[in-house]
Amino acid sequence: MSLTAQKIRNSRPLGVHPHGKIGMERFVLMNAGPTQPRPANQHLRRNPPIAGEQEAITKAQNGDGRAFETLYAMHKRRVYSLCLRMLGNVAEAEDLTQEAFLQLYRKIGTFRGDSAFSTWLHRLAVNVVLMHLRRKGLPQVSLEETLEPSQDDGPRKDIGARDLTLSGSIDRVTLERAIENLPPGYRLVFVLHDVEGYEHNEIAEMLDCSIGNSKSQLHKARMKLRDLLKTGQRKEQIA
Amino acid sequence: MIVMRAADKTMTCAEFQDALPELFESQVDLSGHEHLKTCENCAALVRDLEYIASQARLLLPIQDPSPAVWENIQQAIRQGGSSGPAAPAPRK
Repeated sequence: MSLTAQKIRNSRPLGVHPHGKIGMERFVLMNAGPTQPRPANQHLRRNPPIAGEQEAITKAQNGDGRAFETLYAMHKRRVYSLCLRMLGNVAEAEDLTQEAFLQLYRKIGTFRGDSAFSTWLHRLAVNVVLMHLRRKGLPQVSLEETLEPSQDDGPRKDIGARDLTLSGSIDRVTLERAIENLPPGYRLVFVLHDVEGYEHNEIAEMLDCSIGNSKSQLHKARMKLRDLLKTGQRKEQIA
Repeated sequence: MIVMRAADKTMTCAEFQDALPELFESQVDLSGHEHLKTCENCAALVRDLEYIASQARLLLPIQDPSPAVWENIQQAIRQGGSSGPAAPAPRK
């Protein structure tokens, strides 16, 4: 079974840094580029057409405030959830949701319909988060450095006793909590790839790292999640 | 596309796990990998990682931002006039 998620589009490399309530690791840096999305096909599962959206877009592009409010109501949850998962911090997620929609207000006239509106908006929101992380950044550290293997997050190579298996046992809340507890660098790549469906080439462009590093970071994120989830299971069993 | 080799049968766990990131990105069905036929530990690892990825794809946005977010957006739009706001309003 392939782990490849669905495609979303376009890129705008930015800078990133340690952050959020979990923020303790340093990671990523980048620069900026254009934002118009390329056409996508597989985004439809995650970004299905919304009734009335096209009409609201057209009206909002012509300055209709109520239509913009309609667009906000349609997309606020998705944009906020994206920000929250990337940042792991409610206050900052709300700030950046606000910033993303203000950017939408300024830029909606440039939306040409080459991709789904939601794909375009979510990419805009990702860029807002990444820019925020870059601005927050103190000493910037190459993503490459954070990808060096360590004993903590490297794959387990021992052939020891059989361990608990996760399959079928993880609920959404538990998984969300584990993602929240990932180191920020891992969390970014995991959320972008496995949750949001970006491809490695898109993530590499956004985070200014190699495709190989994106793959490696994702693998380590999944390994770390597995550890976190298993640790939680063991604690539950003991309790 | 990664092709199964006879050498896969003799892979150590370390070699297999080192190859996992690329194996996952290939379109190969890992359940047929020679190493997994004889290594329950690595088979469990693969199952878990596939499960985590599949569950992540099912995560839906379920939380709404507080009403203050929209209030701040409105305020910023009003302050910015018809050309659009220059910066977001501060949080309330």
